[in-house]
Amino acid sequence: MATRRTWRLRLAAACIATAAVAGPLGWFWQDSLLPGTYSAMDFGYPDPGGHDAHAGHAGHGRDVTTLVADPARPADVSVTLTARRERFRLLTGRTIDGYTLNGASPGPTLHATAGQLVQVRLVNANVRDGVTLHWHGVDVPNAADGVAGVTQDAVPAGGAYTYRFVVPRAGTYWYHSHQDSHDQVVGGLYGALVVRPASKPGPGVDVVAMSHLYRGARTLNGREGDVTVAAAPGATARVRVINTDSGATQAWVTGAGYRLVAIDGTDVNRPTPVRDQAVQVTAGGRADLEVTMPADGSPVRVQVGGPTGVVLGQGRPTIAAVPRPAATLDPLAYGTPAALGFDPAAANRHFRYDIGRRPGFIDGRPGYWWTVNGHIYPDLPMFVVAEGDVVRMRISNHSGEAHPMHLHGHHLVVLARNGRPATGSPWWVDSLHVANGENYDVAFVAGNPGLWMDHCHNLAHAEQGLAVHLAYAGVTTSVHIGGAPANAPE
Amino acid sequence: MRKLYRVLAYLLVAEVVVQAGAMALAIAGLGKWVTDGGVFDSSVMESDERAFPEVVGIMVHGLNGSIVIPALALILVVVSFFAHVPGGVKWAAAVFGLVFVQVNLGFAGHDLPFAGGLHGMNALAVFATALHTARRARVRPPAPVEAAPSSSATTAG
Repeated sequence: MATRRTWRLRLAAACIATAAVAGPLGWFWQDSLLPGTYSAMDFGYPDPGGHDAHAGHAGHGRDVTTLVADPARPADVSVTLTARRERFRLLTGRTIDGYTLNGASPGPTLHATAGQLVQVRLVNANVRDGVTLHWHGVDVPNAADGVAGVTQDAVPAGGAYTYRFVVPRAGTYWYHSHQDSHDQVVGGLYGALVVRPASKPGPGVDVVAMSHLYRGARTLNGREGDVTVAAAPGATARVRVINTDSGATQAWVTGAGYRLVAIDGTDVNRPTPVRDQAVQVTAGGRADLEVTMPADGSPVRVQVGGPTGVVLGQGRPTIAAVPRPAATLDPLAYGTPAALGFDPAAANRHFRYDIGRRPGFIDGRPGYWWTVNGHIYPDLPMFVVAEGDVVRMRISNHSGEAHPMHLHGHHLVVLARNGRPATGSPWWVDSLHVANGENYDVAFVAGNPGLWMDHCHNLAHAEQGLAVHLAYAGVTTSVHIGGAPANAPE
Repeated sequence: MRKLYRVLAYLLVAEVVVQAGAMALAIAGLGKWVTDGGVFDSSVMESDERAFPEVVGIMVHGLNGSIVIPALALILVVVSFFAHVPGGVKWAAAVFGLVFVQVNLGFAGHDLPFAGGLHGMNALAVFATALHTARRARVRPPAPVEAAPSSSATTAG
């Protein structure tokens, strides 16, 4: 009898111990399951940024789909882009199983002049999962932002969607799918958008250098190896470096000095000549380098990443690649200060975007997930603002890895890094490389109503839940994540 | 249950071997790829693409290390409650604890290479502890000695 009772007691103890171990895990697992369809407005918790919570309530009011450019205004630039899932060849012959726009990857480079209204009709020929186009770095009206499940439904195969927006400022931008972007952008669904100033004449040579990794093959403008561009002695050449990948890349110049004339589509104020320093280009970010061709006719090389570069010169210019300079230009102290157009000290919203990492479940998947202010997706903050607010945000990263943070629909000005104030030209960004251990103080004016993603542009990280939203009070969305269109913005 | 306990512990031993092999494979593949002209940088590292075939080693290492091995170690702990291996819970917990430390060292190593070094050393501790845990559970403990004297006992005459 005694042994039997002991046996029973031991079994009960084992069961209780098992429940103690497995119970919480099971609870966390089921608690992480996501519904088949849900609104970006509903998950997480509103964060009014220290503002009166009642004044900062989002969730009802104007629908994002009504936030459009003037419908009566005719388009100045009108383009149709047809997305296709197919196998295609890079110029160097390598076959890629991916995505094209108008039969090519990258898609066509779109040109416009500042102030023009651009209209792009996106047609989905055969992409089963649906497609969208996001205008990376252009502060478009919210309905044209191209985020599946937030501002529109993914365009199904056979469907179409028209994007209309004014390009307010000259600069270098790009466009890419924001549906299953971790697959579609990587697979080639992207292109460049170059906006030239209305008044100033352009530089003598103006070249896009769009860096992309196709299934492990590094390319510039879809070509492996160097891109050769004709440039006469003494000519001014602007090289628009666009980083479409998920990690930061570097650009450096040999054969001449250069100036970093624009970052993320915003001109640098009085950029000074630079030599022997590389420029870091954030994932999703852009850097425009300007070089003056040497009078003696010798060529210039703008190296982008390791194996690719733009070679400028006459005839068939050749100039050997050199290793990256040890020094990297710091935009925090580059150029000359200028008026910001608003006073960050008068901010009435203060947000904290604190990135960490911890184990847990997302939709039942166990993993080591990114956190924002200590929470895992979808239990994330939604930053709530009202139109006209001056917003300050501290982005800090202690997650062990770097994050290229991208806020849609706005540009942020960097005030300080790790507490060190910016002393150079106003450093406006839409894609900010926040290395592990760093923190950035940034500010912006809430001047573009809508529901905007504020996410990591390392597309795998976004897919792993490093994505929050900036929501304007009085704005809501009728579009849902998941559901019949299978909207999956990341 | 005792058998399952041993199988799980041996699986953990085997997994450490797989993990070591996977990383060595990936690093060897990376070396060859760079020698052949490939450039390894942040763009390649952050992409999910297979720039060189041996990068599969990194994927295997990540999946095994962050999910499969912690799950096996956790199941070992649960099984130990039922397996009646003397000291079995203690040893299973030790394996689980070392795995927990190992996972955290692995992720910490992304920013602190020193932690990556410790990750390599702690792997041997996981290996040895899991092996010992499996081996010490091999023999059944002797059945409790019956107190009653045997009926065939004869008294000394």
